[in-house]
Amino acid sequence: MDEKNVKCPQCGKIITCTGNPGEIVNVTCPSCNTLGKVTFDRVISIENAAIEVHNLRKEYGDLIAVNNISFAVRKGEVFAFLGPNGAGKTTTVEMIESIRETTNGEIKIFDKVIKTSFDEVKELIGILPQEFHSFERLTVRETLEFFSKLFKRRANIDDILTGMDLEDQKDKLYMNLSGGLKQRVGVAIALVNNPEIVFLDEPTTGLDPKARREVWEFIANLRNQGKTVFLTTHYMEEAEYLADHIAIIHKGNIIAEGTLDELINKYGQGTILHVRNCKDRNASNILKENDFDVSISGDSDLAIKIDNKERVLEILSLLRHECIEYDSIDIRRSNLEEVFLHLTGARLSEEI
Amino acid sequence: MRLEIIIASFISDLKTFVRSKGTLFWTLLFPVMLILIFGAIFSGMDETEIEIQVLDLDNSQFSYQLLDVFNETGLIEVIKAEISTEDKVLSYIQDNDLKRFLVIPHGYGETLIPPVDPNASVNLTFYYDQSEQNSNQIIRNVISNVIQSMNMGFAGGSNVIGIDDVKTISGDFGFIDFFLPGMIGFTIMQTCIYGSLERNTKFRKDGILRKLLTTPITRSEWIFSKMLFQLFLSFLSAILIIIIGILIFGLNINITFLMIVIVIATSFLFTGMGMVIGRFVKDEESASMAGGAVTFPMMFLAGTFFELEMMPEFLQTFARILPLYYVNEGLRNAMIYLKTEDAIYHSLIVLIFAAVFFIGGILLTKWRED
Ligand SMILES: Nc1ncnc2c1ncn2[C@@H]1O[C@H](COP(=O)(O)OP(=O)(O)OP(=O)(O)O)[C@@H](O)[C@H]1O
Ligand SMILES: [Mg+2]
Repeated sequence: MDEKNVKCPQCGKIITCTGNPGEIVNVTCPSCNTLGKVTFDRVISIENAAIEVHNLRKEYGDLIAVNNISFAVRKGEVFAFLGPNGAGKTTTVEMIESIRETTNGEIKIFDKVIKTSFDEVKELIGILPQEFHSFERLTVRETLEFFSKLFKRRANIDDILTGMDLEDQKDKLYMNLSGGLKQRVGVAIALVNNPEIVFLDEPTTGLDPKARREVWEFIANLRNQGKTVFLTTHYMEEAEYLADHIAIIHKGNIIAEGTLDELINKYGQGTILHVRNCKDRNASNILKENDFDVSISGDSDLAIKIDNKERVLEILSLLRHECIEYDSIDIRRSNLEEVFLHLTGARLSEEI
Repeated sequence: MRLEIIIASFISDLKTFVRSKGTLFWTLLFPVMLILIFGAIFSGMDETEIEIQVLDLDNSQFSYQLLDVFNETGLIEVIKAEISTEDKVLSYIQDNDLKRFLVIPHGYGETLIPPVDPNASVNLTFYYDQSEQNSNQIIRNVISNVIQSMNMGFAGGSNVIGIDDVKTISGDFGFIDFFLPGMIGFTIMQTCIYGSLERNTKFRKDGILRKLLTTPITRSEWIFSKMLFQLFLSFLSAILIIIIGILIFGLNINITFLMIVIVIATSFLFTGMGMVIGRFVKDEESASMAGGAVTFPMMFLAGTFFELEMMPEFLQTFARILPLYYVNEGLRNAMIYLKTEDAIYHSLIVLIFAAVFFIGGILLTKWRED
């Protein structure tokens, strides 16, 4: 049985309820009798998980920053923790890194409970804290050498410099680097002990799109080297581009978890074909008669749901056959943005 | 504790220090500048013409002429001494707190009656207090120049008239004697508080402390290596200040065991105080404000620039609860006045303050985020 505290949307009372993982429990507010549902996260148990989090909870006074979340990270994958500002990402990742106290819950890294055995784990992880700034007046090389000396397990510093494409910068003082380079050095510092798991807390926040893409390439490279990457971000594209698994966190709760395809299929609208500026009033009826899920958007745009690639051709030939005129056609796949909007909208009514 | 980590940390700190012009200025150049400026202001303040008492045993035309020439330089004001024999000169100097004294020997005039024997010699005796090196240097130069021209005039350039120098031990200490130990205390306070504040606010904000928590460096390794560097800085500035004191002001400074104890304890004291302040401020800006709010009044009230006796009674009472007061007094007694008993008393108090603040600092510091 797990325990979860929820806030009544009517009277604001905090209600503690219990349920089994995966279960959705009906709850009645004891003070105002409002009805509601509470979802208990499924415990994902994976053979040889790199990180397992069970029922993790964090309260700051009255604020529940992390609300009994559970998840697991597979070895060798990029796991993205996606959520808006203040969702509880940093709180969660820093509890896993043993930097912050937990209010409740259990965290295991490589099967070791970190509350008691974090020292054994330190050699195996590398972290980049949010908004990290290293020592200003050390060069890139000196910085890496300093952090490397702290570990017994050491990677070759020249290899890191090459791998992160920092060779040209190695003798520059950290304070003189651009924001993008500083973040790359931050990632490089996280690699000095050749860690098995790399934690990156918003590694690309504040970078311009070009610098962001560069950092992405290096993160993708880490996975290619077999490292597990725990990434937090509030950029949908970042999670889409990098992550094998995505957990969406909102107001301290994980509201969805899965691969990108799983999330889009489950919560997104799938693929939509738009017919722009279609003059023919009858077009939508013709399509509907042919079993298409059509909706009219705006004045004269049609949105047709596509569940199968073949049907795109069918639509095109229908339009041509019926001599329907239009300006243009485009096809769009749902993205995480839509998933997120869908989920946070739905979620609000679900929780009391 | 792993030596490799401590050395690596020390070297990183040293590199950072050498590369930071601001820190270099405040730790090394600023105290030196202050000492030079205050030294210059106070050493020349009471005298535009420097007074010198003279015992004229010769009482001849020639000796009168010599004294007239001295007066005419406009740099020296000659005053007749109130003794008549040379055997009591030293005690006379001591009793009257004289910084300098000149004796014209009996027979001075006789030697200069023409024809002057170029091989004859008659020496004036110049007594001077080492602690007043600035003004005595000037006097000594004036006397030398006058004598040189006398020698030209009377003896065709032969060195008939000469000077014997005699150092006297000063019973009274000058301003610089008072000021210099205070400057050591003040500088150690500044570097330790601000160093400690930087580690506890900037390093926290920049995520360096959080990063270190996830590496195998232990808390004691971190504290020890930072303390080692603070001690290094403390001794570096103390030594620099002492060298200035000896070379420029000719101070008589003693490096004693107690002085070293006080320098070490002071470093712990103010590093601890920085940790305590760091616990209550959020960002760097408020940290430097809080640092200033603590160090500034302490600098003026704890007897760094002037003696407590010059302040009103209630401020004196207040000063006696300031740790820097005991640091300053302890250093003065340990390295200048050589009052060992007082120095022990003061260093004990500094040690107690150090223990309280350092242990308090460690206990109060938030190592993990909550
Ligand atoms: N030390 C703290 N004390 C009190 N409240 C805190 C503390 N740290 C975080 N919070 C609050 O907890 C919630 C979650 O914060 P957290 O930093 O984990 O969010 P985040 O997802 O990392 O956001 P961001 O994208 O801005 O980094 C926020 O509402 C935040 O204000
Ligand atoms: Mg965050």
